[in-house]
Amino acid sequence: MGDYTVFHNMPWSGMYAIYFFTIGISAALFFFSTKSWFPTGQALIPIRTPAAYVSFALLVISGLLLIGDLSQPMRFLNIMNPAYLNLTSPLAWGGLNLISFGVVSVLYVKALKGNDGKNAKLFGVIGSLLALGLPVYTGFDLTVHQNRPIWNTPLMPVLFVALSLVSGAAVASLLADGKEVALTRLRSHMLWAGGAVGVMLIALLGTTAYGGSTSELTFMFMTSGSLGVIFVGLGILLGTAAPIAVLLTPFGRQHTGIVAAGGLLLVGGMALRYSILIGGQIVQTYF
Amino acid sequence: MSELRISSIETRGMPGKKRYAMVIDLRRCIGCDACMVACKAEFDVPLGVFRTWVPYKVVGKYPVVRKMFLPRLCNHCDDPPCVRACPVGATYKVEDGGFVLQHYDRCIGCKACMASCPYNARFMLPKHRTYTNITNVVDKCTFCHHRVTQGLVPACVQTCIGRARIFGDLNDPASEVSYLTNTLPTQVLRPEEGTKPHVFYIGADRNHTEIGRKIYDPQDVMDAERAVFDKNHS
Repeated sequence: MGDYTVFHNMPWSGMYAIYFFTIGISAALFFFSTKSWFPTGQALIPIRTPAAYVSFALLVISGLLLIGDLSQPMRFLNIMNPAYLNLTSPLAWGGLNLISFGVVSVLYVKALKGNDGKNAKLFGVIGSLLALGLPVYTGFDLTVHQNRPIWNTPLMPVLFVALSLVSGAAVASLLADGKEVALTRLRSHMLWAGGAVGVMLIALLGTTAYGGSTSELTFMFMTSGSLGVIFVGLGILLGTAAPIAVLLTPFGRQHTGIVAAGGLLLVGGMALRYSILIGGQIVQTYF
Repeated sequence: MSELRISSIETRGMPGKKRYAMVIDLRRCIGCDACMVACKAEFDVPLGVFRTWVPYKVVGKYPVVRKMFLPRLCNHCDDPPCVRACPVGATYKVEDGGFVLQHYDRCIGCKACMASCPYNARFMLPKHRTYTNITNVVDKCTFCHHRVTQGLVPACVQTCIGRARIFGDLNDPASEVSYLTNTLPTQVLRPEEGTKPHVFYIGADRNHTEIGRKIYDPQDVMDAERAVFDKNHS
């Protein structure tokens, strides 16, 4: 009798991680741009316009990535069909959130171009709330799958919000064009959000390592081999711990230091998203 | 038994509603794979993907060893996570019967249902097929809905040479599946997920049905096979 071994594929590929990365940056940049309209965010005025433009560009790229990853790309319109919409799915909420954010982003950019401060502020606030929903829903996308270790934790939406702020602040530091006041504020964002990511990663690793047989196996896969290099090496050490250490030194208060730390945080943000996405799927492929 | 219902989608013990289930008696399974072939023939299931499959583990200690077969398929859960996960309602549960089915014309291919299924029961159909234009959408076992609604049993049940697969209505106390589940110890796969599967096993040992630690160190030969599989399905 010829035995045939049946394997199973990971349903979600690395493309999703790139989407998580770009949409997180887009959301945070929009938030920073809006924040500059308020007295507490005056330091961010130099990045107000470039952040809004880059946020919108990344939103378009993210949408195309998401649609391109569907096996039936043209049916993305089904998401907008009220007769089909299944509101128990976080993806349905995410689709609505994405579309609403896109509409508000267009209005915000239009108001910004027309120097219409009042409307820009209004659309900025609405858009920021919708922007917050983007990393939250991407986190929920993973959290709701009860059979997936490392995904199935209430921490995931919060972690994605923190990752979004870190990666967004890192890109914003490149857009600040050397303006010290903006860089100082962005450094502070990177430090606090980066610290939050670090704390959450410790909690995540702890609960995964002690969470039962499949969780333990997931922990083993994520901390060894090629995924271990990406998760621990690039994500935790090079992409989270190292930039925080750099930012705490005198060098990390200078322009070059902040931009260098931002670069490392971007590497870490991508590596963490990728390894969490893939890590949650490895063990299941053997079942 | 209504007190056991937790979510509104469940049909356990609902008067007037059928709740189809399959009992697989592992003591009778000889691993002939006829169920896989019957399913392939019934639905023209493409190469490399399966609505039902029969993995095995070699158990025991030399020289007393044997292959333990574990026929697998969609568990048509009473509380299916795939139905919750689908953003466009392409996967749905038929209330009378408990079949979990697909609207192929709605599926956008986001693969959320595949990610949510604890049993790996779902797969993506290839881009090109010979006899049908249902391509590039997610597919799975239907419990042979088209046969059952005409009073037949699923193709895999019909063909099983050892009568290891038994199909019927759990809400009917006179059915064979009710008798078996009420009189013999049965197991379901991954009960901890709370999906309330409708595929029951007789004689399944959790040491064999769970993910074992040895997957962390798979045999080289499996890596080679997996590489070929991945190449053919990328």
